[in-house]
Amino acid sequence: MVGENRSDDSVKTWDWSIVPESSWFNWNGRELWAYRHLLLRLIRRDFLVHHQQTLLGPMWIVYQPVITLITYVFIFEKAVGLSTDGVPSYLFYFSGIIVWNLFSESFIGTAFTFTQNAQLFEKVYFPRMIIPFSVVTTHLIRFGIQLILFALLLAFFIFTKDFVVYPVRWLPALVTTLVLAPGLGMGLGLIFSLLTAKYRDLVNVIHLGVRLLMFATPVIYPLSIVSSDIQGIVLFNPLTPIFEFFRYAFLGNGMFSYLQLLYSLVSMIVLIVFGSMLFNKFGSKLQDVL
Amino acid sequence: MELAIQVENLSKLYSLGKVGTGSFRQDIKRWWVSQILKNEDPFFTVAKSNQQLSTDFIWALRDVSFDVKEGEVFGIIGRNGAGKSTLLKILSKVISPTEGIIRGRGRINSLLEIGTGFHDELSGRENIYLNGHFLGMTYHEIKRKFDEIVDFSGVERFIDTPVKRYSSGMYVRLAFAVAAHLEPDILIIDEVLAVGDAEFQKKCLGKMHEVSTKQGRTILFVSHNMQAISNLCNRAMFLNKGQVADIGPVEKVVNTYLSGIQKLKASHSWNSKDIAPGNEFIRIKSIELIPHLKNLTDPIDIRTPLTIKFQFWNLKNINLCVGLQVCAQSGECIFDVSSPAYDFSEGLIEGQCEIAGNFLNDGSYYISLIFVKDTSVELFNLEECLSIDVEDFRENINWYGKWPGYVRPKFPFELRQKVT
Repeated sequence: MVGENRSDDSVKTWDWSIVPESSWFNWNGRELWAYRHLLLRLIRRDFLVHHQQTLLGPMWIVYQPVITLITYVFIFEKAVGLSTDGVPSYLFYFSGIIVWNLFSESFIGTAFTFTQNAQLFEKVYFPRMIIPFSVVTTHLIRFGIQLILFALLLAFFIFTKDFVVYPVRWLPALVTTLVLAPGLGMGLGLIFSLLTAKYRDLVNVIHLGVRLLMFATPVIYPLSIVSSDIQGIVLFNPLTPIFEFFRYAFLGNGMFSYLQLLYSLVSMIVLIVFGSMLFNKFGSKLQDVL
Repeated sequence: MELAIQVENLSKLYSLGKVGTGSFRQDIKRWWVSQILKNEDPFFTVAKSNQQLSTDFIWALRDVSFDVKEGEVFGIIGRNGAGKSTLLKILSKVISPTEGIIRGRGRINSLLEIGTGFHDELSGRENIYLNGHFLGMTYHEIKRKFDEIVDFSGVERFIDTPVKRYSSGMYVRLAFAVAAHLEPDILIIDEVLAVGDAEFQKKCLGKMHEVSTKQGRTILFVSHNMQAISNLCNRAMFLNKGQVADIGPVEKVVNTYLSGIQKLKASHSWNSKDIAPGNEFIRIKSIELIPHLKNLTDPIDIRTPLTIKFQFWNLKNINLCVGLQVCAQSGECIFDVSSPAYDFSEGLIEGQCEIAGNFLNDGSYYISLIFVKDTSVELFNLEECLSIDVEDFRENINWYGKWPGYVRPKFPFELRQKVT
């Protein structure tokens, strides 16, 4: 009997194992799927926590871009007199603000994956990739809410100012924005998440970098007014065609080519693949450093 | 019986200083100096000069191998820093090992703390789900057990109140309730017993017992509490400095552990005045801690009377008394007793002090000897010259939490039914 049991034992395979090496390509889809409820719960948590004990509650998602919009209109249009490509300035700035928020918040949220969850990561295992996914999904939902506001603003201009729109362009532009903006943010964020975990002084660099990057992206100005000698810098930025395409589709004015969009897409894929490889390989080793 | 977990040659190396300098600027500078200019690494040399080089790496675990059978309750014991937590963290997949492999069968859950991921702003209800998901429970599992969890925690009335408004007791109960309703095949527990009040602890232990005996689950249990380990576990492992010091039936391993930790600094002696600690007034000859035990191998527990014997050379003719100070590990002085003062002439002086049994609570203590002239001037302080570990001992008590306080005297205490 004992002998039988023993042979059974050696034949029966193990369910799992823990080994020192972590792989570059550790996309365990089944595991991620098993943790989908955690993902949803984290998104829910972020919304609940964000609006608990605040004066204005969930409306902050709307107020933040609106207040930014008013500031931009006053400073960049009224005070500086920056061109908005013949588009009503409210629509121009608002489109820029919400798309920029989608990118920058996805990037910053992902970049602080390890620093902000250090205590959690020390105590419990779950696929670490859940955190970036929850961050990006949260900001996609916020973008959705802000998009409704944008639609209302657009409708106002259509009905009162006879603003001309091209609904056929809307879907492709929306899909492009929804994929590329958070995609680039997350890809870049994954790489920086490892760096901020190791080097705390990069936390400041990231906030500063995002602010500077905004000026290299056509958020508050159209690409068409950029003088040709520095246009190269703006065009090198893979975020540029997203903003131009979005404005072209919704506001009728924008400078982009399909080649540029392809460049953005390739940049995003490279960043995501490279970022997640690093994330998988070094994410589990980071715990020793944190 | 089949194996639930097999650990083979597990090692974990921690690098202390060489991971990085912690700042991007300094790492760049280091890379520039050492790789490009081919000079000596500036940070490396700093380490060398302080003789920290050998301590740059630490094996938190070294070649640890053991098996845990299905349905077994396996205890892991060891002093602080023996590698218990590292082992648990590796088993929990929170950190990865440097060498070795762990294989296992069945779903594994670990409780390195309770209430992981709890958010203060959220209600008890939200936190049950959040915590449950972090621990790997599915939505349906939590939903099915939700009422049971709330029942167990006893916070029904406040389930929709943010947990930041909970008392700490309620918080802990809710957190444990979620953990207690996990249904893994293998459960890893790190000293969660040390929380909550007596009644709740009883509940927790009962739950653990039920999980292991009735449901036949495998449990790995780490604790400092030898009573709890002895009562709950079948087999145990004693880790010492990252290595397996003993493994086997729980009684045997607990004994090895308890007798092993007594061999600490229990006596010191010096042969000549020149090397002995002291000054122009006093030189210490010997100091010794003698526990009064039936068997020499028995551990010192809270019942054991202790005698501290010492000898010293008195180098002047002075009025002298000696104070004995017992401090807790935290450095706090628990008590200070003083000998009577006498006029001594030059020569060897011997003294002893007795600490009665049933006085010190369980824990680690340091003893210092202080030599005082004219009952007012401190001549010499032999600081923390002895250390003792006092083990716990309980009879007819169903509670395993840490007994509070530094002392546990047995004062007369009566309780009787009044005849009416």
